[in-house]
Amino acid sequence: MEECGRAGVKISCEKLRKMFIQKGKIQVHVLEDISFEVFHNEFVVILGPGQSGKSTLLRIIAGLERPTEGRVLLDGKEVKGPGPDRGLVFQSYMLFPWRTVMGNVEMGPKLRGIPKDERRKVGAHYINLVRLDGFEKHYPHQLSGGMKQRVGIARAYANNPDVMLLDEPFGQLDAQTRYFMEKEIIRIWETEKRTVLFVTNNIDEAVYLGDRIITLEGKLPGRMKSTYTVNLPRPREHTDAAFLELRETIIEESQLSL
Amino acid sequence: MSVSTLADEIRRPVEERAPITLLRILRNEYFLYAVSLVLFLYIWDWVAKAHILGKSLATPHQVVTELARLMTVKLAGKNLVGHIWDSTRRVLVGFTIASVIAVPLGLLMALNRYVNAIVKPVFDIFKPMPPIAWISIAILWFGIQEGSKVFIIVIGTFVPCLLNSYNGARLIDPELYDVVRVLGGHRRHEIVQVCFPAAFPAIFAGLQVSLSVGWTCVLAAELVSSQSGLGWIIIQGMRLTKPELVIGGMAIIALVAWTTSLLVTGLEKLICPWKRQIEGL
Repeated sequence: MEECGRAGVKISCEKLRKMFIQKGKIQVHVLEDISFEVFHNEFVVILGPGQSGKSTLLRIIAGLERPTEGRVLLDGKEVKGPGPDRGLVFQSYMLFPWRTVMGNVEMGPKLRGIPKDERRKVGAHYINLVRLDGFEKHYPHQLSGGMKQRVGIARAYANNPDVMLLDEPFGQLDAQTRYFMEKEIIRIWETEKRTVLFVTNNIDEAVYLGDRIITLEGKLPGRMKSTYTVNLPRPREHTDAAFLELRETIIEESQLSL
Repeated sequence: MSVSTLADEIRRPVEERAPITLLRILRNEYFLYAVSLVLFLYIWDWVAKAHILGKSLATPHQVVTELARLMTVKLAGKNLVGHIWDSTRRVLVGFTIASVIAVPLGLLMALNRYVNAIVKPVFDIFKPMPPIAWISIAILWFGIQEGSKVFIIVIGTFVPCLLNSYNGARLIDPELYDVVRVLGGHRRHEIVQVCFPAAFPAIFAGLQVSLSVGWTCVLAAELVSSQSGLGWIIIQGMRLTKPELVIGGMAIIALVAWTTSLLVTGLEKLICPWKRQIEGL
């Protein structure tokens, strides 16, 4: 496994707090005192049950939500809105149903005004990376869930972001496809390294994927609970003794907070 | 995973080829369509000949003969094609005027809350008013010529056009806009790349409804006052006690309205090839 933290800090969250306020009243207090750092090309998993504010945290880092207090630094600069330096993969895929696979994947370059020939090349490269060659002209409704999320990943990658943010990307897949896609995301990441922040509610998935796991408490407002460094070599085995041991530890410690 | 296993993930319709048997013919829906139509014509013919509705129901044969006669004989200076064209032209002119204004206005209302706040209250006042209620005032304003008829059609088709494009744009999943923002797009990209295409199916649904409302309106307007058109033919049939003329006019309207609706469907398939397949239609 690659040693992390040598190449410096990529993302830094400083005392994030998020409340949804309407008409001067606090409606929901979602996040409280979230501070952590993600290093260059590190794969960090944010693990928490439903309603722990983890998706909101990712949206704040993506720049789609503003924190009520605190700030997010990307390469030392404060995040003030969304930008092509961060790619987001959605739980519900959010593909454009009116565009083909290629049309979806090349969207980022298209929005940045890159000429057609060039963005087709970029698109083809990432379609190949997610192994969807031959499906360029298919529409999303013609694809299975796993394939749709491959398009989602390729679309985010094709914009060449420094950071990939994945919001429970495999949450809607069946268990078998999910295992398979977990392998795939590691393969893709090892082929083209990026800093990855991966949100999930699945402990198994977290241990399989992460260099580091940050757990959130299971009730609102979401607070940071613990951080685990996963020193298991890749490819990991779900049945490996060390794998199971870490999984047990996380389960035990998580239950205390429920 | 190789490409071939990926390909297996795509659902393929199962092709089946079985020998043609009587049971299969009976189960064939096209066969049943034909049976249904023949049966309908037969019953109609029987009801007319048995004078169950008095003598005011023409047989299908009489209707067809009358329509064939109208192709050559001129009625008020125009043959049947001329009258069809008069009605169709009124519908198309009114429909075009209404959709060109209402569709963009609906989108604008959905995209901008100030536009919405200004337009919506006035629109809500006029929305429940049946377009036919406007006929008398339209004749007072625009006379009994083309103007009043087109006006009624514009009024009638405006409402469904606007409502559908407004709701179509309003009900778009906001996360689709987030996709564009995260990829580095601006507000205009959100509108062009998400709002327009996502609203297309609803806009087309509105155009379909508008078109059928348009035909209702043209008919009502022609029934009240006109010197030509399919509504006028029907009125002539009533005045001359010629049921074959009335029923012929009704049949032609159904046929022409159906054709125009098919044209809109065709246009939609051309513009959104991705939509029909989603619904499995």
